[in-house]
Amino acid sequence: MIEYDEIESRMVLKLVYYGPALSGKTTNLLNLHEQLEKKGRGDLMVLDTRDDRTIFFDLLPFYIVSPGGLKIKLKVFTVPGQVKHDATRKAVLQRADGVAFIADSQVAEATNNSQSFENLESNLAIVGLDIDTIPLVIQFNKRDLDNIIPGPEVERIWKPTGIPFFYASALEGWGVLETFKSLLELTYTHIDRRYGLDERYGLDMETFIQKLTKIYEPGQAG
Amino acid sequence: MEKSPNDKGDLRYIIGSEKSLRDIISERDLMPLLKMAAGAGECVVKISDASGGIICEYGGPADKRETGMQRPLYIEGEPAGGIVLLGEDGTDSRLEKIADLLYDSITFLMDSNLKRMLTTEIHTTVLNQSYEELLETNRKLEISRKEYRELAENLELKVQERTLELKQALARLLQQEKMASIGQLAAGVAHEVNNPLGFVYSNLATLKRYADKFIEMLEFYRSAFKRQEFTREEIKTEQRKWEALKLDYVLSDVHDLIGQSLDGAERVRRIVADLKGFSHIDDVTVTVVDINAEIDRTLKVIAHEIPDTAEIYRNYNQLPGCCCNPALLCQVFLNIILNALQARREGLKLVISTKYVNGFIEITFADNGPGIPDTVINRIFEPFFTTKEVGSGIGMGLTVIHDIISSLKGAIDVESSPGKGATFKVLIPSGGGCNE
Repeated sequence: MIEYDEIESRMVLKLVYYGPALSGKTTNLLNLHEQLEKKGRGDLMVLDTRDDRTIFFDLLPFYIVSPGGLKIKLKVFTVPGQVKHDATRKAVLQRADGVAFIADSQVAEATNNSQSFENLESNLAIVGLDIDTIPLVIQFNKRDLDNIIPGPEVERIWKPTGIPFFYASALEGWGVLETFKSLLELTYTHIDRRYGLDERYGLDMETFIQKLTKIYEPGQAG
Repeated sequence: MEKSPNDKGDLRYIIGSEKSLRDIISERDLMPLLKMAAGAGECVVKISDASGGIICEYGGPADKRETGMQRPLYIEGEPAGGIVLLGEDGTDSRLEKIADLLYDSITFLMDSNLKRMLTTEIHTTVLNQSYEELLETNRKLEISRKEYRELAENLELKVQERTLELKQALARLLQQEKMASIGQLAAGVAHEVNNPLGFVYSNLATLKRYADKFIEMLEFYRSAFKRQEFTREEIKTEQRKWEALKLDYVLSDVHDLIGQSLDGAERVRRIVADLKGFSHIDDVTVTVVDINAEIDRTLKVIAHEIPDTAEIYRNYNQLPGCCCNPALLCQVFLNIILNALQARREGLKLVISTKYVNGFIEITFADNGPGIPDTVINRIFEPFFTTKEVGSGIGMGLTVIHDIISSLKGAIDVESSPGKGATFKVLIPSGGGCNE
């Protein structure tokens, strides 16, 4: 549910990284924070943690201006994965415009993944969102580890759903940007349909994604 | 904080809502920094918001300053305002350092303020949400508690209703059982009464014929008697008539007939008296009862049920009086004796003993029937328990006994081993006045 002010030409989008505890949601954001251009972007805000576990949320904000003058603030949140923080998850999930579900690829975590996914589904319903229509991508993280669910198995389960899925190792830094790009793509499509981003503000999908995923090159003026 | 996430009219973010520079940082936060910067740079310092409005300002008259230095401020990457330093000519490098220092300080302050605000927001949201959920849970619990309480109250009422229904049903069944044994008794009694009544009736028919003969003979004598003499012819006629009417036989038979009829009538009278005594129609309340006599009454009233091959021994001892309703006692004795008769018809040997033991009258009925199997002996007093074929009894006979004896504050016990008969032992408290 987009915050959009036509008079001010301003739009705020909210993306949420969801998933079970310790699946690497914060690591995903840390990695984006490292990889991406610092200009037109705020710092990653990591709220108080306990033993390195997220208890509130992390926030990575972006700010772009379209050729037509539309100012877009994009806020990427993580939720706390631990079961006990469900109230916080619900609060963060409210009015989300897109969700990346970060799954832990380890075989032993299969149950936690599916429980967390069910939790996502029910919490979306509680905050008035529909898992079938909200932009959603899945990332199978921790592919660098042993004892992970094999690719064919993942494909067998997720291909039929039509939900885009990606393999990643947020720790090693691969797969993270692809996941983010895919989520941006879906989100763009979703809002362009309603707000005419391209038509009214000259912001096509390519530009939108390119502006938000510009790779940071050290030495550039910041 | 809003409550409903579906409230589409409200576009505010619940978490991380958009904030302006003024929201994040106050004049009070800024002023000490501005004072220091202005002092160090001998300059004017201004902080402006996104639209160029001045949030705060410090330092001597700005119009005398010529060199300016600017630093934009960002919130989440978005331009949110800026720092402006105005100093004297030739102080550029100093102003630049001061501007950098001020920028770092203000950015740090903004970051920590924003972080604190976000933490407060999420914390408040979660608290409010949890509180709402608790209230909701509490409300639901209260409703279900109310429902349960109503249910519990109704349940008690329902249980009372059903208990009453069951009590009434049981009472009806017990009554039915009593009626059944009385019915059985009545059938036997009817037969008993019918026998003498049959021959009394037939005797009366014969007597009517005899009476006709007497009348005919008497009328003959009467007409002759009026004339004061018999003719020869008449004397012959009298002889013939007497013979024709078989009056010699009739006269000898008539006494037998009457005697028999009186006997029959007496039997009926006795049966009715026994039955009346047994049923204690006249004794409506509790009275002092001679138990030996009551057993005799019961045996008398079912005498016809007892086959010739059966032997009944009475082993009575002297007993004190017992205070109770005799009709109930007779019912008990009747049911036990009928039970024994049903257990074994031919060759039954029933020993009925009475004695007085420690304030109780003990009555035992020992039969030589097939006995009661171990598997059922504990259940024979249960309502509807029966080993008889379906249709021959509803299984309430012994229940009725148990019921009556309990009401008399007595006890009933049974001992039996299969093949060796059964012994029912009844204890009834003796003595006491009938004043209760």
